[in-house]
Amino acid sequence: MSELQALLEQARAEGLARIAEAEDLVSLNEARVRTLGRKAPLSQARSGLGKVDENERKVMGRLANEVQKELEAALQAKQEVFQAAELEQRWERERIDVTLPGAVPPLGALHPLTKTIWEIVDIFIGLGYSVAEGPEVELSLYNFDALNTPPAHPARSAQDTFYVDGAGEEVCLRTQTSPMQMRIMETEAPPIYVVVPGRVYRREAEDATHTSQFAQIEGLAVDEGITMGDLKGSLSAFARAIFGGDLDVRLRPHYFPFTEPSAELDVQCFVCRGSGSGCRMCKGEGWIEVLGCGMVDPALFEWAGHDPERYSGFAFGMGVERIAALAHGVSDIRYFYDNDLRFLSQFRGIA
Amino acid sequence: MRVPMRWLAEFVDVDVPVDKLAELLDLSGTKVEAVHRPSAAIGGVVVAEVLGITQHPNADSLTLVDVRAGSGDAELVVCGARNFRVGDRVPLAQVGARLPEMEITERKIRGETSRGMLCSAAELGVSADHSGILVLPNDAAPGDDVVDLLGLDDTILELEITPNRPDCMSIVGVAREVSAILGNDLRHPLVQVETDAGVASPVRVDVQDATGCPRYLARYIEGVKVARSPAWLTTRLLSVGVRAVSNVVDVTNLVLFELGQPLHAFDAANVPDQHIIVRRARRGEGMTTLDGHERTLHPDDLLIAEKKEPLAIAGVMGGGDSEVSDETTAVILESAHFQPESISFTSRRHGLRTEASARFERGTDPDLVSVAADRAASLIADLAGGRVAPDIVDQYPSPIERASITLRPRRAEQVLGAPLGIDQQASYLRALELEVVESDGALQVQVPLFRPDLKREIDLVEEVGRLAGFDRLPNTLPPGRTGRLDREQRAERAIRVLLADLGLHEAWTSSFMAEVDLSRLGVGRGDPAAGVVRLANPMSEEERCLRTTLLPGLLRSVALNERQRAPGVALFEMARVYEPSGERLPREAVVLAGVLSGSRRVASWDSPEEPWDLFDAKGIVEALFASLGLPAPGFSQAQGLPFHPTRAAAISIEGRSAGAVGELHPQTLVAWEIERPVIAFELALAPLLATLGGKPKVQELWRFPSNLFDIAIVVDAVMASSEPSRIIREVGAPEVVDVRLFDVYEGDQIPAGKKSLAYALELRAQEGTVTDAMAAEVRDRIVGALAARLGAELRG
Repeated sequence: MSELQALLEQARAEGLARIAEAEDLVSLNEARVRTLGRKAPLSQARSGLGKVDENERKVMGRLANEVQKELEAALQAKQEVFQAAELEQRWERERIDVTLPGAVPPLGALHPLTKTIWEIVDIFIGLGYSVAEGPEVELSLYNFDALNTPPAHPARSAQDTFYVDGAGEEVCLRTQTSPMQMRIMETEAPPIYVVVPGRVYRREAEDATHTSQFAQIEGLAVDEGITMGDLKGSLSAFARAIFGGDLDVRLRPHYFPFTEPSAELDVQCFVCRGSGSGCRMCKGEGWIEVLGCGMVDPALFEWAGHDPERYSGFAFGMGVERIAALAHGVSDIRYFYDNDLRFLSQFRGIA
Repeated sequence: MRVPMRWLAEFVDVDVPVDKLAELLDLSGTKVEAVHRPSAAIGGVVVAEVLGITQHPNADSLTLVDVRAGSGDAELVVCGARNFRVGDRVPLAQVGARLPEMEITERKIRGETSRGMLCSAAELGVSADHSGILVLPNDAAPGDDVVDLLGLDDTILELEITPNRPDCMSIVGVAREVSAILGNDLRHPLVQVETDAGVASPVRVDVQDATGCPRYLARYIEGVKVARSPAWLTTRLLSVGVRAVSNVVDVTNLVLFELGQPLHAFDAANVPDQHIIVRRARRGEGMTTLDGHERTLHPDDLLIAEKKEPLAIAGVMGGGDSEVSDETTAVILESAHFQPESISFTSRRHGLRTEASARFERGTDPDLVSVAADRAASLIADLAGGRVAPDIVDQYPSPIERASITLRPRRAEQVLGAPLGIDQQASYLRALELEVVESDGALQVQVPLFRPDLKREIDLVEEVGRLAGFDRLPNTLPPGRTGRLDREQRAERAIRVLLADLGLHEAWTSSFMAEVDLSRLGVGRGDPAAGVVRLANPMSEEERCLRTTLLPGLLRSVALNERQRAPGVALFEMARVYEPSGERLPREAVVLAGVLSGSRRVASWDSPEEPWDLFDAKGIVEALFASLGLPAPGFSQAQGLPFHPTRAAAISIEGRSAGAVGELHPQTLVAWEIERPVIAFELALAPLLATLGGKPKVQELWRFPSNLFDIAIVVDAVMASSEPSRIIREVGAPEVVDVRLFDVYEGDQIPAGKKSLAYALELRAQEGTVTDAMAAEVRDRIVGALAARLGAELRG
């Protein structure tokens, strides 16, 4: 063994011993300087390389690199151990009990009637409708006359309809969203596809299914060549979208003064699924009435100045509280207007 | 409308089960609301003969009735009614019997044992009449089952008749529908009256208002013996919920239900000279109707009168004086057609709805007037032994003409969207007893007068459609278009979502308010009548006005939740307010309001309870403006109710007033019985929506870092902190891009009556980085302006 080789071996042995002795990152850094620094035995041994012949220089040079790598690896390994330990301590210092309750920001919610209106309106937007609103204080001309309601009709009586003071029976609170059919047809040329949500008012004694103010959604489609099949297809699509795609839907002939033919739309009861027997939801009928509808009466087109031979259309109207109550199992629609937080906070889900 | 299946079957064969028939009626437009089977709930009720009636020893209102049912022993029952006599037949629910509402057991009533119960019509579930015991026909055999006797084992359909279908207000009319649906023939009732040539009618009729009464027919019958009706008639009436009275009256009721033509029988002896006048009431005239009510008549009320006094309110109700009674021997039988509107107004005016008025106001069949009179006359002759005079008075000066309508089958197909050939359409219409002639590819349809609702082609299209069945129509969709919300509608939705996300629950409160709500808020001073839309007929004084602010409703909801001990209440509502506009319709404007009270966050393991405060409300308003992309709102100290005098701000947008935010005045809270402070805001939506920008355009991002520095100044304590901020922004422009107040201090470190405000400023250069020289120049500019304009001193 040459002298140089002995020096390198010694540097290796001493270096490894020093590294092994290090107890923390500080002493490891010291060991790094003492084993790999300029004054360390390895560096000093390297300086002897220039003094030996070419052959030995080659061999010793390789050995020096080998020693250096080994020491570096030992330092690195040791450092990682110390760093890991230090992190371990830090994590312990920083430990948080994540099962403590979170700081929940105050949570609000949209009103169930708003959500129901949006849900219904969105289905019709998907079918190509736009949305309009109209006056709640309305001329009897639009609320009744234009909608074929005869002067003697009981709905017009001050027993049933709110009238504005000082205007006789000329100005009322609208009893339905239907006057907007007329207002829209008067101002717009077909094609018309529109839904009209809004509040309406009737002088009703309040109980679990009646309030003197409530919300309706009106719909109107007027175009060339609209048929009752279009009414049926559109409203069946709507009813299934809101109550369930696998339910049966039926149109039952009915009477409204401003549509002809007129119908009510029933959806199969979603509780008993049509079996009816003993069902409290549909009172044993197997069907639940959802809305009133019909083909726009030609008289309305004439009133609005559209040619009933050229245009046809359908209209529909539904009560929002009833649909919301059906969908959410609300037993008393007066809850919708109490704004009790114990009630309102139950409507946070995705409709 | 109650339709007993047995009665219906007299006029049409029903060869499907009742439930199927009900479904077919539903699907052709006559909604079946219920199917009653009265006998299902009744058992053990038998005919009993009344043997004796004695007073209950311990109760003035009760009697002890001895009854015997058949061959058994006499039983004693306690009874509260006294409308029967010894010898009458009455329904006895024996011990162990079942009634719709109860089971009968032996009971002691005030010390006397009752072995059963005598039943009213209501207790048997056959009508709503519980005014007395249901007295049965005298020919009923004691011991017989009352279910059989009264035909209670029949099935009864309860129909909803829509207002356009007066023809369905009768058994024959419903039979016509059933015949059209099932394709079975309709059997019209056979009407043949045998007259007595020896009787001459003394009746004269003078119709003075042929508009109100287009047709008036009177028949005269003498030699009548008024008595109880036979069982079949009693039963029949009972099956439609009407209690038998006497043979003559019962016959008129029977014909009303059978044919739909109301009739009236007058005691001829009580009509002086048998002279009947049909006229409008005179001003101030009055009469007592059969129900015992004294009524003041209106000049528009149509009357049936004798020469002086009214006999009846035409088509609505008769008077007591000319009523048929046990002493009656001659009867004037009225069968008439009245104008529907006139009857409707009169019926509503007097709050008097009868079986007759319900039919007249929808429109009866003028052609039925003579048929019904003949049917009733022949029945009276049969049942009461009357002799019918051959001469009839029939005032029908202008016979009503049948509508003649052309139906283009192609039109029906276009409206319905289904191919229905001309022959099929014709057969549907014929099934309804319309006269149909085909010519030139169209259908010429003559409409009988029992269908006044059929006037136009579209009316016939509906008939075709409903008889074809809407289930035969295809499901199609109109051509597609693009539907979407407009920008303002999207903004309204965004506002609601934002406020819910910020912790507020959305409320829906009443559109009404009380007159006093405004003075409770303290905003109704001066002329309280100004600026409010009032209702002529509110449900109550609390709902007299249309609201001009959302606060009353929201405060009611705050109070409700406080009573429910909700730790915190944060509500908002977006809805309309109303104010007179000077035009016919008031102005309606959408307003957004919020109320915050109690805890924003309850105490928790890491933080104390955090109440909602004024700056939460302000922050919500600021967040709202920011999220809508609006310029920041302006706030200025404002004084005025309903707010706390020194804790409220007016809100403006681009200099225009938009609303207010503040703590409510303690006296406002007292008025609504609210304990905890309430912070409220109310904003008009229109100015916000009017200021909405378009789609945002992006600015190039800054390439150089900004420079931050602070300025602390000392100003008068009462100075609004927004003033220095505004001046800093104004004179700091364009370099100062952000100003943030980060400290407000009043105390020992500065003179009394002063406060220190510390602002953090962010500076940017137009090009490159901010140099020290530039920063110094801006700072000097700002400090100089604050000193000059506000007397502010730089704080050390």
